[in-house]
Amino acid sequence: MEIRAKQQPKSNIFGGGAQSGSYGQQQKSNPYGFGVQNSSQSKGSTDYGSKPNNQFKPFENKWTRFSPIPNTGAPSARQSENQTQATNHKCTDPESCRRIVVEDFENERPLWKLTCYGHLKNAPCDIIGDISYEELRAAAYDDAKRGLSLQSIVERERNLLSSKLVEFENLCKPHAVAPSSTLPDQKPFSGTSSNAFSSFGQLGSSLNMGPPAPLNNGFGQLNSSAPSRQISSAFGTKNMPSENAGFSSNGALRESNPFSPSPSSAQFLRTTNNQSPILSMGLDYTSNANAPAQVAMGVQLATNMQKEDISGDVSIWSKNKWNPGEVPEEAPPDAFVDAV
Amino acid sequence: MSTFGTTSPRNPNPNYSFEVAQPPSDSVSSLSFSPKANYLVATSWDNQVRCWEIMRSGNTVGSTPKASISHDQPAKMWPLLSGGQPMTVAMHDAPIKELAWIPEMNLWVTGSWDKTMKYWDTRQPNPAHTQALPDRCYALTVRYLLLVVGTAERSLVVFNLQNRQTEFKRITSPLKYQTRCVAAFPDQQGFLVGSIEGRVGVHHLNDSRQSKNFTFKCHRDGTEIYSVNSLNFHPVHHTFATAVCDGAFNFWDKDSKQRLKAMSRCSQPVPCSTFNNDGSIFAYSVCYDWSKGAENRNPATAKYYIFLHLPQESEVKGKPRVGTSGRK
Repeated sequence: MEIRAKQQPKSNIFGGGAQSGSYGQQQKSNPYGFGVQNSSQSKGSTDYGSKPNNQFKPFENKWTRFSPIPNTGAPSARQSENQTQATNHKCTDPESCRRIVVEDFENERPLWKLTCYGHLKNAPCDIIGDISYEELRAAAYDDAKRGLSLQSIVERERNLLSSKLVEFENLCKPHAVAPSSTLPDQKPFSGTSSNAFSSFGQLGSSLNMGPPAPLNNGFGQLNSSAPSRQISSAFGTKNMPSENAGFSSNGALRESNPFSPSPSSAQFLRTTNNQSPILSMGLDYTSNANAPAQVAMGVQLATNMQKEDISGDVSIWSKNKWNPGEVPEEAPPDAFVDAV
Repeated sequence: MSTFGTTSPRNPNPNYSFEVAQPPSDSVSSLSFSPKANYLVATSWDNQVRCWEIMRSGNTVGSTPKASISHDQPAKMWPLLSGGQPMTVAMHDAPIKELAWIPEMNLWVTGSWDKTMKYWDTRQPNPAHTQALPDRCYALTVRYLLLVVGTAERSLVVFNLQNRQTEFKRITSPLKYQTRCVAAFPDQQGFLVGSIEGRVGVHHLNDSRQSKNFTFKCHRDGTEIYSVNSLNFHPVHHTFATAVCDGAFNFWDKDSKQRLKAMSRCSQPVPCSTFNNDGSIFAYSVCYDWSKGAENRNPATAKYYIFLHLPQESEVKGKPRVGTSGRK
């Protein structure tokens, strides 16, 4: 699969040149096609030309349709490309799910990468961790207000992008995609502030994280006994609810903070093993929002750089709960890594 | 950011749209026309809200800046005509992403990244009702009685405003990637949803009409897949416009499933757009939408535009597909 890593360095797509120089209607030959979307429950026909009272002939659109479709073919012969995979996909076989994922990533990768993804329409996400343009922009503006340089902002964004790309890569691996129908719930956390950036979503079973779903989501307060800290693990609420319900102690997640010096943005994660990185973007929105200085956003990226060896005291890895300040900054030794 | 390349220096817009005077000094986050008159309001990342009076005369359109206020986090009501001071009408724990006025209920509704939606009566400081959302609000559309919220992680929640405390329906998006925008059908029978994958989904609410649901790709250019940033229904013809990251906006007819018009691409994305109350003016902004991150924004050379397009009837009026015997 071709990975489109780091779209940003590409030359600006908005280069003036030919595109903006063409006036009037653009006769693009790109197929955009109208594909009939069946919801997963409906067995309906995969076309919209079969109803007797339909007023139009589907093939008469003068704009280019998906090219293999003959103009006068019977409606049932017509399948736009997304239909061939989506129409009959029922999520009964992880391998067929995976094929859809691979196909999507080869043909349909959007330019914006910081997104959730579901291989099956109308079904829960396979990858969660949506970040919108505006959220990223707001984080950048806030960082700039706090004095971060453009370089570090760019680096933060790039790191987000890299880890998201790894998530997508991992989804293409065998046994990565669990059939949506068997997954209980899209949101592993039952807490109020759900994780904005999880690399795992539904994929817990395949990603070495074990059954407790909250682990997958990676971040969240490791210590709920700091009530004065108004950090939320996702966007949002004032005081942190105890997010670490079910948070395992096996050291799969840890904090490392290459970016933010301030303790208030202490949301970090780091993966171990070869799992996908987990992102966290801590946003602190105080209830009286007139104090921009209080908005602290730090984005810390966990990358799977667990190559260091730990020497010295390793008892920290056996603790059930970490207090602020004692969270190790490096990956645990292999012996402590959960090898489920 | 790139400048407009080979177009005429007099008019930087490849569609010869009219440029609004004194645009904001940072990207435009939203555009709205007054429902009653041709006043255009734009919010911007430069923390200002601006208002212009738009005057149309024949085939030309002019704009006069009327007023501006600076704004911080709480949502404010700004009495334009009386010239009074803005007053706070809504507050959330996180940025307010969407805002809509529901005249039939005399309420504001705000959708926020704090995962709630709140209804506000301007006479009270506290919300009339707070509705929890499955995730952060990314998009909102209201067409009384229909209200649809698109949240992060592809949830779409539908409300019947007569019973706003209960979700009427919650679905996962028919699109595979992040929701960018939603637009309720003028007849409230369904809604459109646009995503970052250059697709629009057409969803009917009535279960018996589910087979009429479909999605289509738009604004595809080779292998580049651009996000649909905005969806706007034409108030009269009920066709709709898509405004996209690739710098273009197109007009579509969902009933005959055709694209009516593809406008030329501008050299920057179109993050937001809107029709005026009678559909005679289509306003759209051309400026950087952050679709390529911080490093592709150069404040020193960046340009921020708001353009006004006067749609021709052929562009926005629905038409039967060639070869059909009649419209629905």
